[in-house]
Amino acid sequence: MPLASPLPSPMALNRPQQSPSIFKKRSASGLGSGSPLPSSAASYLSALSQADARARSVSPTSTPALSLSSSVTSSSEDTILHEEEEDALMNSNADGLLLPTRPPNSAQVFSTVHTEFGHCANDKYRTTSQHKLGTPLPTHVEQDPPYYILLSTYVSYLILICLGHVRDFVGKRLSPSSYQHLMPQHGYAPLNSDFDSFYTRRLKTRMDECFSQPVTGVAGRTIMLLDRTSPDYNHTQLFTGTRTRALNISSYNYLGFAQARGGCADAVEESIKRYGISSLGARLEGGGTDLHNMGEALVANFTGMEDALICSMGFATNSTIIPALVSKGCLVISDELNHASIRFGTRISGASVRMFKHNNMKSLESLLKEVISQGQPKTHRPWKKILVVVEGLYSMEGTLVNLPGVLELKKKYKFYLFVDEAHSIGAIGPRGRGVADYFGVNPRSIDILMGTFTKSFGAAGGYIAGSKTIIDHLRVNGHSGAYAESMTPSVLTQVVASMASIMGVAPPDVPSKEIVHPGPVASASLPQWINLPLNLASGEEGTSRLRRLAFNCRYLHSGLIKLGFITYGHPASPIVPLLLFNPGKMNMFHKMMKQRQTPIVVVVVAYPATPLVTSRVRFCVSAAHTKEDIDTVLRACDEIGDVLDLKHGSVRGKDRWNVEQVIARAAELGSNDD
Amino acid sequence: MDGAPESLIPVLSFLEGPLSTALTTFNKIPGSAVILRYVKSSHQNDPGRTILELLLLIFAIRTLLQSRTRADRNGSHYIQFSEKEVDELVEEWTPEPLAAPLTPAEQSDLAAVPIIAGPNGPRPKLVSTGKTATNLASFNFSGLSSNEHIKQRAVEILRKYGLGSCGPPGFYGTLDVHMDLENDIADFLGTEAAILYSQGFSTVSSVIPAFSKRGDIIVADRAVNFAIQKGIEISRSTVRWYDHNDLGSLEEVLISIEKDRKRRRGPLTRRFIITEGIFSKDGAMVDLPKLIELKLKYKYRLILDETYSFGSVGRTGRGLTELYNVPASKVDMILGSCAVGLNSCGGFCAGSQIVVDHQRINGPSFVFSASMPALLAVSASEGINIIRNTPSIFECLQTNVHAARAILDKLDCILIPSHPVSPVIHIYVRTTDPVPPSSAKFNLTFASPKDTLRLNEFDVEERLLQEVVEDCLAQGVILTRAKRLKGQEMVEPKPSIRLALSSALTKKETEKAVSVLRNSLVKTFGRRR
Repeated sequence: MPLASPLPSPMALNRPQQSPSIFKKRSASGLGSGSPLPSSAASYLSALSQADARARSVSPTSTPALSLSSSVTSSSEDTILHEEEEDALMNSNADGLLLPTRPPNSAQVFSTVHTEFGHCANDKYRTTSQHKLGTPLPTHVEQDPPYYILLSTYVSYLILICLGHVRDFVGKRLSPSSYQHLMPQHGYAPLNSDFDSFYTRRLKTRMDECFSQPVTGVAGRTIMLLDRTSPDYNHTQLFTGTRTRALNISSYNYLGFAQARGGCADAVEESIKRYGISSLGARLEGGGTDLHNMGEALVANFTGMEDALICSMGFATNSTIIPALVSKGCLVISDELNHASIRFGTRISGASVRMFKHNNMKSLESLLKEVISQGQPKTHRPWKKILVVVEGLYSMEGTLVNLPGVLELKKKYKFYLFVDEAHSIGAIGPRGRGVADYFGVNPRSIDILMGTFTKSFGAAGGYIAGSKTIIDHLRVNGHSGAYAESMTPSVLTQVVASMASIMGVAPPDVPSKEIVHPGPVASASLPQWINLPLNLASGEEGTSRLRRLAFNCRYLHSGLIKLGFITYGHPASPIVPLLLFNPGKMNMFHKMMKQRQTPIVVVVVAYPATPLVTSRVRFCVSAAHTKEDIDTVLRACDEIGDVLDLKHGSVRGKDRWNVEQVIARAAELGSNDD
Repeated sequence: MDGAPESLIPVLSFLEGPLSTALTTFNKIPGSAVILRYVKSSHQNDPGRTILELLLLIFAIRTLLQSRTRADRNGSHYIQFSEKEVDELVEEWTPEPLAAPLTPAEQSDLAAVPIIAGPNGPRPKLVSTGKTATNLASFNFSGLSSNEHIKQRAVEILRKYGLGSCGPPGFYGTLDVHMDLENDIADFLGTEAAILYSQGFSTVSSVIPAFSKRGDIIVADRAVNFAIQKGIEISRSTVRWYDHNDLGSLEEVLISIEKDRKRRRGPLTRRFIITEGIFSKDGAMVDLPKLIELKLKYKYRLILDETYSFGSVGRTGRGLTELYNVPASKVDMILGSCAVGLNSCGGFCAGSQIVVDHQRINGPSFVFSASMPALLAVSASEGINIIRNTPSIFECLQTNVHAARAILDKLDCILIPSHPVSPVIHIYVRTTDPVPPSSAKFNLTFASPKDTLRLNEFDVEERLLQEVVEDCLAQGVILTRAKRLKGQEMVEPKPSIRLALSSALTKKETEKAVSVLRNSLVKTFGRRR
């Protein structure tokens, strides 16, 4: 299906010229960010990595970019390549983003656009995401870096803080006008106090180019960056007008359903034509349609619960539903690393809150013993109810909840269990049904399952699933039912279509009563007008995506460990954090990844999202990535890791592999056998 | 006497080794000499100071080592139990059920919620009857929901961007179309900048805590909507309430705060007035010019929630600022909903560049939530384009509002608290002797949650109004009672039927539908008398 207005080819805009010298100032080339380099050492490192990249690259031919652009675009839309164009295309495909590095043979037909969802036919690169029954969950070991790294990290922050205060002190005297918004003026207190904004002004601004990068197009396997530059040390960002296509290992697109083409997008188009844009109002006030009811039934079916409720925003699902579950006199026991939305929700609920150490069952048990025996503070009355809130997959650590452990405790201590599956639903488990599926436990042994559609389903919003009594209670008492806008039909359709693709659709002659969880969805429970293509409806594509994701997760995770990096999290987790520690390295890592032959965009996170020392880069693996893409990321990490001195993992000596070994033994690393 | 020191000799010699190594390593540390010199000289000058510094050091170490859990085990309320007692207590404890089953009233209420088959709009089809009905319940002020051009643009954008953005705005979730919509909103309203949130309802409860912290002062209307209440609650600021839509009462509160501050000589803190443009609880409208006068006089910042006035009043739907011809820059923060006003999804906060930039880092539901799907952002942009160029939409809407009010105002059995131009019309049951709506006092229409007598009265009214709603539905007019969370609101508003008029209906259709409502009202309340 041709685009109405095809995107201009990224290659044409990206690299207008190859500068002859690597040290030549790249002022208007549109490469990477182009902002002034922070220091001479940094520019040297950057140039070093650039030179590395150039040396590795296919001979840098000056491609007649404009003349080629149309053919590139059109063929990337096509499902099968034309043989004769291949050579020309391979030249311009030096970054490996537009076309597969390994051309498909005649037997392989890909229905996806390679830039959105990578073509990967090799069945070796597949794994099942499943917990081995009877084996204990690998405990989360926080590896410590060498002391000099820790020390230099603390010193870095100390220098940053001291410098910041010195600049504030001098700045307030020399140029008071730039501090005006932090001072009381005309009898108004400043909106932002000097103290509160210190971190933002003096630390975050230095690495602002890593954050809020505007993009365009589909957040699929690759993403199109709108290049920007800052003339004044990140106080303002200006667009250069150029674009760069980069490998996207940052979006929460776990199953690769962020697509502008394909069965789901077709269904969404049909829904826009049939239902329009909006459903006009709150669910209880005339904003509910038959599509909402179908969507909720499907979510209940998918999660294996009795009933479900859909909310139009993921953050709001937690922040508006938790207050309807607990109130004054109740206790919420929350993992210390729980998401902000859970904290927001518990804070407005009026319930008491206690925290336990991250995923630590001993800490949870001793806390439970204490709170149940002590009762409410001061009065010692027994708690009305205790709600333990955990996340299925923690978004900053990549750790999986110890669900069997929690359920064991639940039997003894009679608390209610709320599992936030924002990241794990769709991404974890042999059938993508989340952590319960992964650990092979009955989902109904959990009281409330919450999740979002933003991540694996490529949509927006969230859901709550549970027993019919609970969900009905929440329909009436949750804030969103009466006051918040209901989910729009287009988003709902994306949810329904992608969810049905993961589950597979049962043939119409199978009565819906015979289908048991976790089975396919009865075709009668989908809207009649959604016609999924055969590969999606059979569930084949969904299974393949789940298995590709599982492989990619394990491969990247074990690959990084074998290369000697310190990573966190469970090997089955699509979130792979790689520890950087020093704040200065965050900026450098981000920049060096973006300026490579194949630009890679990464998310770097630091304090306050993480503890002060453990700044990290967070990879979000997707089923859309091919094995070659993960190779690219590993190669990049390997080189940059050497330059930035990041390889401090506990894997040493003979156990440590070089990058070629890692890539050659990918199938072994990515399997679920270790 | 000599024996004791002698017996200590091996101990001393044993200690000497490590002590000397410690001393040499200490000397090896660069700068150790300086520290040593400093300690020596300070001790020489003032031995008391050494003791004080030592105590400080011990205190610092103790503070660092102390556990940071909130309820400490050594507190005076902590009871020591033996292991066995704990087990018994755990065994004994039985929690309440997580959620109580619905009451029969709630059940029938939930079952009576109309469900639309297919597209929602001015004349949707109902699942229950399979027939079309006139819709006076859904928010479709400008009638953008059925606009073919917007649908077409949405499909184009779908084919370019896919659906979801798959990331929060900070991490590759900021699309060019989001920035375009932000610029469009700012340009439309006439503010410096605007910021998008992905749900209208969550916008204000995120904006308030982003600015107002503990110790800051919030002055708010007593009948503000639920989202504002929650935002105020989570901000932990000092809050003072003034009587609903009574600017005289507001001024009294402002004066008393000023007096208080002068008396206490407290530091200058951030101060905010928070109110709504058209109140979601009763459709009343705030007198914006007067409010701005007060805010400027007493130096407060104004947070104005225009959820129901943006895209519904003013010549081109710009909201209260256009209606009263006040520059938008005079209002510090204008909040609106793209879901209600532009028939898309999400909400926004418009204001100065500083106000907007601050939220990009501090607004919880902006930072921690995925950004809005691209096609919905573009739909909103197109919506703005259409309403700014088509003033006839709002003329038509006003015609409908006048027509509806002309019919309803004549009725004796009801009371309408809504402003005459508001397209959101609330209908109360008139219980006491007829009082002109202008002098309707706060306590007439709102009850404290503890006032069981009034609440019982409200229950009766609610059931009667629900009868009217269902009667009208049977006659092909979709209506809704204003749904509220009972027991969770700060004040319980009087039950009402909420109409949302639309320019997508003609004057005749509106009149016909409202007449159905009038007849039903007369029938129900006539029978009662």
